[in-house]
Amino acid sequence: MAFTDGFISEIVGRNATVNDIPIGRVSDFLVNSPDDTFPLIDGFVIKTSQGPRFAPIATIIDVDDEGTITLSVTPKDPAPRDEDALYLVADLLDKQIVDVDGRKVVRINDLEIANTGGVLRVVAADVGVGGLLRRLGLKTFGKRYAPMIYKRVPRAMIAWDSVAPIRDVNPAQVRLSIKESKLARLHPSELAEIIGDLSKREAAAVIHSLDDETAADALEHLDPGTQKSIIDDLGTERAADIIEEMDSDDAADLLAELEPEQQLQLLAEMNEYTAGELRELVKYEEDTAGGLMTTDYVWIYPHRTVEATIQKIREIAPQSEFIYYLYVLDKDDNLLGVLTLRSLLLSLPTAFIEKIMETDVVTVATNIPAHDVAATIARYDLLAVPVVNESGKMLGIVTVDDAIDAIVPEDFAKNLPRVTFNRRKHHAGS
Amino acid sequence: MTLRSVLMFFSIIGPGIITANADNDVGGIFTYSLAGAQFGYQLLWLLIPVTIALIVTQEMCARMGAVTGKGLADLIRENFGVKVTFWVLLLFVFGDLGNTAAEFAGVASAAPIFQSYVQAIPRWLFTDGLVILAAATVFFAVTRGNYKIVERIFFGFCIVYLAYVVSGILVRPNWHDVFHQMLFPHFTANKAYLLMAIGVIGTTISPWMQFYIQSAVVDKGVRKQDYAYSRIDVVAGSFITDIIAFFIIIASAATIFVHNANGLHAIVITNAGDVAAALAPLAGKFASLLFAIGLLNAAIFTASILPLSTAYYVCEAFGFERGVDHHFSDAPVFYSLYLALIVIGAGVVIVPNSPLIAIIFYSQVLNAVLLPIVLVLMLLLINNKRLMGDWTNGIIFNTIAWATVIIVGFLTLVSTAQLIFPSLGS
Repeated sequence: MAFTDGFISEIVGRNATVNDIPIGRVSDFLVNSPDDTFPLIDGFVIKTSQGPRFAPIATIIDVDDEGTITLSVTPKDPAPRDEDALYLVADLLDKQIVDVDGRKVVRINDLEIANTGGVLRVVAADVGVGGLLRRLGLKTFGKRYAPMIYKRVPRAMIAWDSVAPIRDVNPAQVRLSIKESKLARLHPSELAEIIGDLSKREAAAVIHSLDDETAADALEHLDPGTQKSIIDDLGTERAADIIEEMDSDDAADLLAELEPEQQLQLLAEMNEYTAGELRELVKYEEDTAGGLMTTDYVWIYPHRTVEATIQKIREIAPQSEFIYYLYVLDKDDNLLGVLTLRSLLLSLPTAFIEKIMETDVVTVATNIPAHDVAATIARYDLLAVPVVNESGKMLGIVTVDDAIDAIVPEDFAKNLPRVTFNRRKHHAGS
Repeated sequence: MTLRSVLMFFSIIGPGIITANADNDVGGIFTYSLAGAQFGYQLLWLLIPVTIALIVTQEMCARMGAVTGKGLADLIRENFGVKVTFWVLLLFVFGDLGNTAAEFAGVASAAPIFQSYVQAIPRWLFTDGLVILAAATVFFAVTRGNYKIVERIFFGFCIVYLAYVVSGILVRPNWHDVFHQMLFPHFTANKAYLLMAIGVIGTTISPWMQFYIQSAVVDKGVRKQDYAYSRIDVVAGSFITDIIAFFIIIASAATIFVHNANGLHAIVITNAGDVAAALAPLAGKFASLLFAIGLLNAAIFTASILPLSTAYYVCEAFGFERGVDHHFSDAPVFYSLYLALIVIGAGVVIVPNSPLIAIIFYSQVLNAVLLPIVLVLMLLLINNKRLMGDWTNGIIFNTIAWATVIIVGFLTLVSTAQLIFPSLGS
């Protein structure tokens, strides 16, 4: 193949010939495995007088740098439609994608392809003004008449490895195979910010393409309106799976926003235990200790030894987010005391928990306003405060980060600097 | 209605009412005033079909916004490609620039009424100062507030339009004549009458509004399930707009038309400010002041929305960061375009001997050419099954919509041809 590399906009519209007889024009390119680092182009779509026909890559003899495309045989079959496959023109050109490296939503102006050892691969997406000018046919014009300006036109290419296509489809109708998504490389809060820039349907499709846990993390960071519309579009079964993975306080807030009927349907799809917990949490007002609390805390028995307790924590810690405070409960879930992870580790292995625990515990009732909960946490320098009912029964905890979220005004949160992570380091470590 | 649906309604209304009101801009007020001054109540009936056409076009965009969650520029780019998008939007930017200049010219034309209360300040200084103040207000109100606050400000603007209702009542129109003309229209086949009719239609439905309403619906996050409320919003907005138009026509018909009909010396109006000035001796200083306040309000309102909308859809189509909740450094293209439209728009009004008239003239021509194009693109999009699913137009709606497109398109092209070649048809 004489073709070295170039952009698909330079090939689209060219004549395709078989034995020097023109049969149609190139209209699109099929990529069967778009998740590869630099995916292969598996064939061209040729627009013929009989309609679009598919020419497998093996039948393409030559792609000239200029001029025509030479085929060995006349393509007969219509273009195949596989759910994982992408058509570069129909599915990507002019569409929005997520630039995973730059962490933003951008629009594709052109796609760069390269000839590597006789096969064509997609290497990068052009999202800059240069790509726009090329598409508009102004490239030669610019080069000739305004070379100084043309040279300064910013080039913006995104390596294919960082391109996450967004499928604008209704997730309830399509079964996407959920693989290691490029989007999972983003921090959940960044992912949420990107989802906020997409249309509702695209947002749902993106969430749908993630594994349950990543989807749950991202969903936690979204505003209630967006959460609601995504849940609507996902369908009950998938939505329930994702909500189950969310922190119980966030899950309860989300459920509380929904219509009672939809709430019941979702709870019915979940496992008995999670559903029971959420049913309790949904009852509380959003801006109170009850609404902020999560039931994900670590509790221990008073009459065990330090050694046995450490053993127990080793077992349960992987599933628990917050293990720094250990709450000591009796058989009826009454709160007897609290122990920090630090004091547990520093105590004699043979000591009993009831002897070393702090019995003077600061607690809040379910109806305490969020602001007062935060004030309590701040006053006593806590990482979390337990929530108990009138008789002293432990219901859950409010962690310091949830308390902060509840009292920082939304407008202020918007103006916070965007979190940046040292991604290179992050990758090297993983 | 349950409490929940009432609350839902109030969280969704806004886009329709705001867009429709922004459409009663300086050009609109001038055209309606002229219609009243030249033909009295004779053209009032026209407001009925115009309202229907307005509802039909606005509703389609609101529906596309709710169903696809994407703006109109976005849909045009994704479905018609980069070339169509680029050339259409390029023309739009010029059209919108001219419209923005027209709004600031409206501020200037209202200035003398206010200056008459503070005669210590020279008129030229007062006028230029007011235009600069308006431009600065527009820029800071929109970029410094968040969208929720901005939308509330816009709602406030809509209420100021009631000034026209009051001033329409203050001029003591002959209500019997008004309703008689409205219900039993009197057609005249002369050229001036036809041109005026075309002008009224052309000023009521403008191309940029379609982009604005769709983006506003998308921003609101209206869901398909709640779309019924958006539809009410659109219909209400269209009615409010045309009720305001009704009172503007009445105000100038009951005064200027009546005066000229009995006339010793005819009052000639060349801009919207002239109408306000003419009301003072005929209907009292208060009616005149109210009219001028309405005019200033309309000018600032549309000048706030139009450049914002333009910058937004251009960035949307070409994938640049956009929106007033970004900082300048995050969305440089968006803010540069927005600022350029305001600065140039206000600049040509202030700078003496600038080609203001030519700019406004050619932007009107551009708008007329663009309107049918946009309406056709809208109809193609809304009937696209893949995009809209079960929400495409029905047969009846499509018939009304295509008829609107053809009539509006034809009329605006005729009027444009008249503008460019005044000898035509005479």
